[in-house]
Amino acid sequence: MRPLIVKYGRIWMRTASMAMQAQLSYRLGSFGFLLGKMIRLFFFFAFMAAVFQHVEQVAGYSLVETALFFMTFNLVDMSAQILFRGVYGARRTVSEGDFDFYLVQPCSPLFRITCSTVDFLDMVTILPVIVMTGMVFARLPAMGWERHALYWLLIFNAVALIYAIHVLVAGLAVRTQELESAIWIYRDVMFMGKFPVDVYAPSVRHALTFVIPIAVMTTFPAKAFLGRLSTMWIAYAFAVTAAALPLSCLYWNRSVARYTSSSS
Amino acid sequence: MKKYLIAYSIALQETLQRRSTLIMDRLGGFAVVISLYSFWIALIGDKSSFLGYSRSEMLTYVLLLNILRSFVFAGRGWQLVGEISSGRISSYLVRPISYHGYALSLDLAQKSVHLVSAILEVSLLAALVRGQLFIPADPATWLLFTASVVVSSLLFFFLEFLVSSLAFWTSESGGPLFCFELFLQFAAGAFFPLDVLPEGLRRALEITPFPYMVYFPIRLFLQKITPAQALHLLTLETAWLFAVAAAALFVWRRGVRSYAAEGG
Repeated sequence: MRPLIVKYGRIWMRTASMAMQAQLSYRLGSFGFLLGKMIRLFFFFAFMAAVFQHVEQVAGYSLVETALFFMTFNLVDMSAQILFRGVYGARRTVSEGDFDFYLVQPCSPLFRITCSTVDFLDMVTILPVIVMTGMVFARLPAMGWERHALYWLLIFNAVALIYAIHVLVAGLAVRTQELESAIWIYRDVMFMGKFPVDVYAPSVRHALTFVIPIAVMTTFPAKAFLGRLSTMWIAYAFAVTAAALPLSCLYWNRSVARYTSSSS
Repeated sequence: MKKYLIAYSIALQETLQRRSTLIMDRLGGFAVVISLYSFWIALIGDKSSFLGYSRSEMLTYVLLLNILRSFVFAGRGWQLVGEISSGRISSYLVRPISYHGYALSLDLAQKSVHLVSAILEVSLLAALVRGQLFIPADPATWLLFTASVVVSSLLFFFLEFLVSSLAFWTSESGGPLFCFELFLQFAAGAFFPLDVLPEGLRRALEITPFPYMVYFPIRLFLQKITPAQALHLLTLETAWLFAVAAAALFVWRRGVRSYAAEGG
């Protein structure tokens, strides 16, 4: 097991280093993307702060609590973007025939297609998010270490669940070679996680908990930290991920088994 | 004129042919609308209005937002960047056709499909939430609203052209375009009404052309401004359109002069 981890760690480091060099050589472009991401973060935060100039609470949450939901969304979303960026180019990798090379290399094609592209711009953007999350924690009442541990465990669980979704999208790309928008649908639906799911109507809330579990990814960690998530829902969050990961891998394996190469 | 109509017709067929991409695009946009609507309803809570917007006005704002995002913000900036960077634009430059006219035809085809889809979506959402929509009775409001939306759409077209033309000088223009589009969406009021922002920031944005693209047309529709103010703002918006179009055409001519057909 250890040699395998070392091997994949080295592959990841090598491809990450190549991605960083590419982004550093693309200075103006990278600066523009970085600035855009910062602007998005700034405007949403300014929006939240401005809204609370006019109201005391939103769906029963104060400004600091709402900020915790927003920062949690950003932490989870950016971590996934940093680690699984490769899926965004999966369709092109398949349709241009590069996937054939992945299949003959002595490395898991799933690892290559999902994890071998690292977005360093998100790595830079996540730094202010971590600082701001720390500031939000500091403004909340002091919580025991159990709450902190649970929060980070649920964040880890959320990233694993997002990985399952990315594997599913990669499987779709291999199987259909045309579902370019699938990952962008996920991005748009993920937008709903910017706010605690309690703001939505019951039907939407149920869909976000049981059909596309955005709530598990973004709302649950913050709710657990605030002590507003029951043990049953915590167990549900881990169970969803435990089921989603093997199922998405199964779908991926079946997609690869049906793959017949789409380019010369 | 006939050749532009043919370009429009072909582009329309192409857009409709890629049905899965279109449906997924629309589904993603729909999720954003539901998200924004739910958040605003949570903000209004038991109050009769929030920031001067009643429940029906806020519902109308969010639904119109979906229509305007589809109609105004459907652009060809990324295609232009790709065509210049890859050299594919050479084949258009030698044809007896204006590139701007051609791009406008393609743009219009895309907008037509997205507009129809957006209207269907908002009708569905309005029926689902059984909310009272604000429908102005005055025909002059409808006329001014339509005029402002058409001017907004052209303003976005030329603004995007202006930024995308950077590709004539650098292959890294994707970054600035990404940054510009994100900033524009916030500054135009495409995520939330600008009324929520602090007075100073709102005033600063009002001296740019951005609020004329979404915020101003919706306020006009909601009759938040008098007809005299609307006429005044429409005149300013048209002046912005002429200024931006002139700048875009100037930069385009300079760009074509320095174009080296890399990759073509």
